Amino acid sequence: MAIRGIDLTTLTLKAALDLATLIEEEARDRYEELADQMQVHHTPDVERFFRRMVEVEQRHRDELARRRQALFGAAPPAVSRAAIFDVEAPDYDEVRQGMSVRAALESAMRSEVKAHDFFVRALPRVTDPDVKTLFEELRDEEVEHRQWVQAELDRLPAASGPDGDVSDEPVAQ
Amino acid sequence: METQAYAPKDFKSDLKPIWCPGCGDFGVLQAIYRALAAIGRPPHEIAFVSGIGCSSRIPGYTTAYGFNSVHGRALPIAQGIKLANPDLLVLCAGGDGDGFSIGGGHLPHAVRRNADLTYIVMDNQVYGLTKGQLSPTSSRGRKTVTSAYGSLEQPINPLLQVLSYGAGFVAQGTPADTPGLTMLIEEAIRYPGFAFVNVQSPCVTYGEEHQQMRAQKAMMQPLASLGHDPADFLKALEWATRYGRELHTGVFYRNPEPPPSYEQQVRERQALLSRNALPRERILELFAPHA
Repeated sequence: MAIRGIDLTTLTLKAALDLATLIEEEARDRYEELADQMQVHHTPDVERFFRRMVEVEQRHRDELARRRQALFGAAPPAVSRAAIFDVEAPDYDEVRQGMSVRAALESAMRSEVKAHDFFVRALPRVTDPDVKTLFEELRDEEVEHRQWVQAELDRLPAASGPDGDVSDEPVAQ
Repeated sequence: METQAYAPKDFKSDLKPIWCPGCGDFGVLQAIYRALAAIGRPPHEIAFVSGIGCSSRIPGYTTAYGFNSVHGRALPIAQGIKLANPDLLVLCAGGDGDGFSIGGGHLPHAVRRNADLTYIVMDNQVYGLTKGQLSPTSSRGRKTVTSAYGSLEQPINPLLQVLSYGAGFVAQGTPADTPGLTMLIEEAIRYPGFAFVNVQSPCVTYGEEHQQMRAQKAMMQPLASLGHDPADFLKALEWATRYGRELHTGVFYRNPEPPPSYEQQVRERQALLSRNALPRERILELFAPHA
């Protein structure tokens, strides 16, 4: 998890909203990629879960984009997507063919924790009071997201299918 | 040659990767998209050539011109493309088997010619596509389907090999550090000559535990943090000898005075010879019987 070329100490509210929007966008796109991988490798339950996560991240992204639009209109973005590396997006090595829904949820949980940690670590470096308020809000939202993932985990039966290692080798190749 | 503002997604094709979930190549592909966006050349000015193997599928996953060619033959094809159209940005990708075994004979010649190419090898120390045979970089003692009692062979050291052939840019990265890998690929592309990036890209299906991303995150050491000066060739050789035992990332060697590239020399030679060359319409007369 990292951001490159963004100075948090001089971050403006517009740039902060752009950054937060792109973080959600990256997570959305990653879940979409992971869902595609599960589709290709015949793991439909996990694919469905990842597609749900795509919708969740899209919703978060749209909320932030609306706020940005209301405050700053169509002003050009101050942050590039290329500057963001796996802030809330699950790492590629989080997934395996034949993984269980439980493992997928646990991976989503680790991603929410990662995003929470990002805002916790960023906050002391932020100087703009509006950005500070925004980051505090986003940090607290990540706690709510964790609670949502935890609730989903609690709803699962104790064993929810095979985990990680499967007897068959990958077949897509 | 135009440069514009591009986003990584501009280099992502509609073809969905079919690599095993968790494969290191996903991270390498991300790093390539980002590096290409930073370079700012449009996809139609980029040619991406590969051989055969899991990682050789990469050209299809980009919007650049792609050629998923013949096993081990990515480098000769890439050199041909560069020579025919030197204005193209030419990238080459493949695995350790493709590059150091089946195509191993092409590597020294590509390096010594110094065509302006970037060669990215996804070194996973196994033949993954064909289901887990011993590859040229598999460690001694490694048990695979073709070495049931452990490999008796010494692995190739790609870093040492390419350095000793005289490559002007030699680096190593890992998808466990995507920001670092992105910078290395970007820097390799910007180097005016043959640039080699060895990527320790774990095979999630046939790789060993200590080769996986989690282990890599724990063991990798960026050369920059160890005070390595990439202009120091002898020191680069020394670091390279640790391949297989330690995981050093970053630029091992960057020639501070890059020599002219092959295609640059060819252009100069063409310009020189064309001064006294006959006009095209008179060339046929050389072969015509004297009147």
